[in-house]
Amino acid sequence: MFNLTLSRRAILGSAAAVAAAAGLSACNRDNGSTPSSDDTSQAATITMLVLGDKPTNGRLEKMLTKLNEILTAKVNAKLELFYVEWADWQTQYNVQLLSGDSKIDLITTATDWLFGWENAQKGAFYALDEEILKANAPKTWEQVNGKGTWEECKLPDGKIYFIPEDNYTQWTNHGYFYRGDWAKSAGIPDGTITKFEELTTYFRWVKENQKKAFPWDVAGANETALTGWLQAHTDGQTIQQVSAGNYYPFQTTKADPYTVGSWYMESDELVAAAKNAKEWNDIGVWRQDAIGYDGDTRELFFSGLSGADQHHTQTFLGVWTTMNQRQKGSDPKMYWFGQENKNIFRDIKTHGAMAVSANSKNPARALKVYELIRNDEECYHLINYGIEGSDYILKDGKRARPEGWDPSKDGLGANFWGGRMDNLEIPDETTPPKRDEWFKELEGMSTDYPYSTLVLNKDAINSSLASMGSVLSKYIPQLQYGKFADPEKAITDMRAELKQAGYDDVKTALQTDMDTWAKEKGLK
Amino acid sequence: MTTATLDKPRKLKLDSSEVVLRSVSYVTVTLFALFCALPFVLIVSASFSEESQIMEHGFSLLPRGFSTAAYELIFRSPRQIIGSYAVTITMTVLGVAVGLAITAMTGFALQRKDFPLRNQISFFIYFTTLFSAGLAPTYLWVARTLGLRGSYLAVFLQLLLSPWLIILMKNFCRSVPYEVVESGKIDGAGDFRIFAQLVLPMLKPALATIGLFLALGYWNEWYLSSLYLGSTVEFKPLQYYLYNIINTANALRNSVAGDNVTITNLPSNTLKMASAVVATGPIVLVYPFVQKYFVSGITVGAVKG
Amino acid sequence: MGMQSTERAVEAPAVTRPSRAKGYASFWKGVSHSKMLLLMCLPAIVFFLVFAYGPMPGAYIAFTNFNYRDGIFGSPFVGMKNFEFLIKSGQLWLLTKNTVLYNLAFIVIGNVLQIGLAIMLNEIRSKYFKKVSQALMFLPYFVSVVLIGVIAFNLLNYDTGAVNALILETGGNPLKIYSMAGLWPFIIIIAHLWQSTGYGSIVYFAAIMGLDDSMFEAAAIDGASAWQRIRYIILPSLKPTFIILLLFALGGIMRGNFGLFWNLVGNNAQLYQTTDIIETSVYRMLVSQNNFTTSTAVGLYQSLFGFVLVMTVNWIVRRINPDYALF
Repeated sequence: MFNLTLSRRAILGSAAAVAAAAGLSACNRDNGSTPSSDDTSQAATITMLVLGDKPTNGRLEKMLTKLNEILTAKVNAKLELFYVEWADWQTQYNVQLLSGDSKIDLITTATDWLFGWENAQKGAFYALDEEILKANAPKTWEQVNGKGTWEECKLPDGKIYFIPEDNYTQWTNHGYFYRGDWAKSAGIPDGTITKFEELTTYFRWVKENQKKAFPWDVAGANETALTGWLQAHTDGQTIQQVSAGNYYPFQTTKADPYTVGSWYMESDELVAAAKNAKEWNDIGVWRQDAIGYDGDTRELFFSGLSGADQHHTQTFLGVWTTMNQRQKGSDPKMYWFGQENKNIFRDIKTHGAMAVSANSKNPARALKVYELIRNDEECYHLINYGIEGSDYILKDGKRARPEGWDPSKDGLGANFWGGRMDNLEIPDETTPPKRDEWFKELEGMSTDYPYSTLVLNKDAINSSLASMGSVLSKYIPQLQYGKFADPEKAITDMRAELKQAGYDDVKTALQTDMDTWAKEKGLK
Repeated sequence: MTTATLDKPRKLKLDSSEVVLRSVSYVTVTLFALFCALPFVLIVSASFSEESQIMEHGFSLLPRGFSTAAYELIFRSPRQIIGSYAVTITMTVLGVAVGLAITAMTGFALQRKDFPLRNQISFFIYFTTLFSAGLAPTYLWVARTLGLRGSYLAVFLQLLLSPWLIILMKNFCRSVPYEVVESGKIDGAGDFRIFAQLVLPMLKPALATIGLFLALGYWNEWYLSSLYLGSTVEFKPLQYYLYNIINTANALRNSVAGDNVTITNLPSNTLKMASAVVATGPIVLVYPFVQKYFVSGITVGAVKG
Repeated sequence: MGMQSTERAVEAPAVTRPSRAKGYASFWKGVSHSKMLLLMCLPAIVFFLVFAYGPMPGAYIAFTNFNYRDGIFGSPFVGMKNFEFLIKSGQLWLLTKNTVLYNLAFIVIGNVLQIGLAIMLNEIRSKYFKKVSQALMFLPYFVSVVLIGVIAFNLLNYDTGAVNALILETGGNPLKIYSMAGLWPFIIIIAHLWQSTGYGSIVYFAAIMGLDDSMFEAAAIDGASAWQRIRYIILPSLKPTFIILLLFALGGIMRGNFGLFWNLVGNNAQLYQTTDIIETSVYRMLVSQNNFTTSTAVGLYQSLFGFVLVMTVNWIVRRINPDYALF
């Protein structure tokens, strides 16, 4: 049909082409450039990757113009923002980093939700050290060093891969937001849910009495029906440094904090959690097609079409305000996972962090810019709040909204989440008055994350972790949404597959590192 | 081959088996054509329905409670959709022009019996359909090595040529008698002039067919955009824009941003459908005009080995 | 224009086997003698060099624990480690099975429907009817798979889908279709057929149109019935077209209609057992799980397996009837 003769010459020709291409790609290897002394007489543009939807109301540009005047004057640099939109953000964040785009200089990261360790290990981040940090971001260096937090940002090679947001008080422990008015009607004392089981009561009541609403309208990736249950019913503590795909499968227990285990593999409670999830599914807590559903569930909560929403305390502070405006008398409240058995961690310092891109042409200048937006009061207020007078006004020392300012379209949206500082914050007048009370309550239930200085070497186990990730991504969503007719059998199957994926090897490797660390710190 | 021959009636005597066959044919073809068209009716009807009716009764063939709210919403802030249209149309037009030119030149050269390297080059091209690097290495290569992440070029270039279309063009070119080339040579014309002035005009159905394939490729592209563009560009190619609207609530809300719409008054279902209609409509409307060429083009190209 | 004359015979072999030394000489002579033709091929050559051959060495990632710092060839070599779990867990087998079975179903059912439809189209006499029905049948081929995903969701989803709306109206219990893995092979095959049958039938239709009228006239004079006409004239005449299309399709048997599968199923793990094909899993591993070593491993397996398959099929065909061999 094509009359092609597969002559030796043709094949040789193709081989030569392949070889030539190989040569090309070999030339392209990153050779870990060293930061030449930063010459600030040369103007530079520093691009920072942030997450969120780029605002189109013009306010961001105005703020940046003003900010860049200052940055130019101080370090001869301009800041630009590069947005990874919420639509499809996990995919887009990863493929953006994978592309090694040299335009990007600063990258927002996090170890608990933005694949910080994975990307550090894959070499997406520039390896920082004391010298370059001290030279370009001395204040930042001192702050973090003073608290000893650098230890939490290192790989086994001893280099620093990101700068933590470690002077900013926030609680990012997760839980469910719900409506106090409905909880009261459901017969829950005081309308306050204090135990995981009471959620079932609440959901059941919503299902029966609020016909327009789903008890918890949840979309797609969520596993809190399982992990929330486990946190409340066990003393398991998740090791946040090691993830398999989008899951965090390794835990220790408070009772035995230096033995690595996994509640996906070893706990009987997972079966109970899955059965609870199945009960919720049978009640109709979420819509049938929740796995593939893509609705804006927070909006639905605000609109009275969902009885619950799921996120962390910091988000709740904003939700509380909006909910009170949108659903008057709804008395929004939050149930924290693990509140009944005091199994909550204080915030880890790398829930927000900033990395320098390995492909940045100007790592030193990037650090200089970071130093300013983190520590210079004027810059800090600009990037976080915008321009005084048009984006916010000061009223009795608090931040207030100018006349006619509409939160649904006038937001600044710079989304700088990798270095906010308590001492530079201006209190917000819309902050829930009970905030401090809640924080105090949380303080009483929480402990510090015990493994912040634990360094795990994952080189040898990466492919097993990846395999585990793909097994989990097959089973967990279905367990979460109660889709298996027999969850117990499904869990047995999942465990067999995880074993095949190399669970035991991974566990052994982690245990070795854990032992070394515990010994070093004199803990064992 | 022209459509005239396609429609040439056959004069045959009708016996009973002919009658049966013919009635079965009419019925089946009608049913199948309806089966093909039905989903479109569903979408158009849904886009004109009232959101509350859809929430309550689901989708149906006729609009429930006629409403144009979704379209009004789209065209109240049409910036995004116009931008996406502009991107897709530009890419399609340029892609068809450049892709067609290269495909035709290559196809012509590769079927020239007096071109000694044609077998090697043919194999060089054909081999890529047998073996490919795979998704991840290709991504690394295009995004990292060539540095095309975030550039429309990543999408534009990768769709420009396909081995299949070159092979198809090569087959088309065989229908051009070699005497045409020889007569050109006798007149002292170079190979390129022979191609451009003598052969090209004879390839019109081929160009129409391959052009349409290329155009379809560009118009319906969403996959490369999701890998190489994401949100790095202000205006996403049309189908990727649609893909986002369909698959993420955020994108849907942003598509009508600036209108202060909240989820309670955002007609998500009908809005998705209306977006689908707006993104698909033009190609469906253009198609009948190129149908003639397309049918005859496929006929020539695909049947001949 | 004669549809069936393949003109294959006309093509003379390009170069008669010269000795090697002479071969190189004639190669360069060929280059210098046809500079213009070579130049005309150059854009295409560069294109395939850059976009098809360029990434090929990168498939080596499948054998490494890849990281950006050390690059493709500097990353630690791990041998077959990335393949281990794929094989052990049976995942590779499941993916291969699904991919091949779907393609076989597409090929067999698709061709039967296309041929049937082509024969029936041939019976239609009304010019207007023919034109309109053809236009409608082609329509699905012109819409993007994104839209097909939308259509399916509108028909099949639990809360507002047309199918469940219908079931409810007739007093039945709505179906949780997006949880019913067993149903999806049918849904996907129907969607694929919906998308491609109309277009595919035109190819066969054209072949029928190309038949010599005198054959039909002779058959009519002999008093052949419509069935005999189909059985003894039309069907045999479609054989070459069928075989060529079949070989093409077999060449792509390890690939799949990725866009269709992805837009219909996406990340819905409940359906993987029956719907996951090689290409969807390669894509998901890369973009959802950020796991490109395994993704590359699966992709490499797909390429190699497909390559061997095509070579084998071609070898067999060549032995049976060299005329039909792809190369």
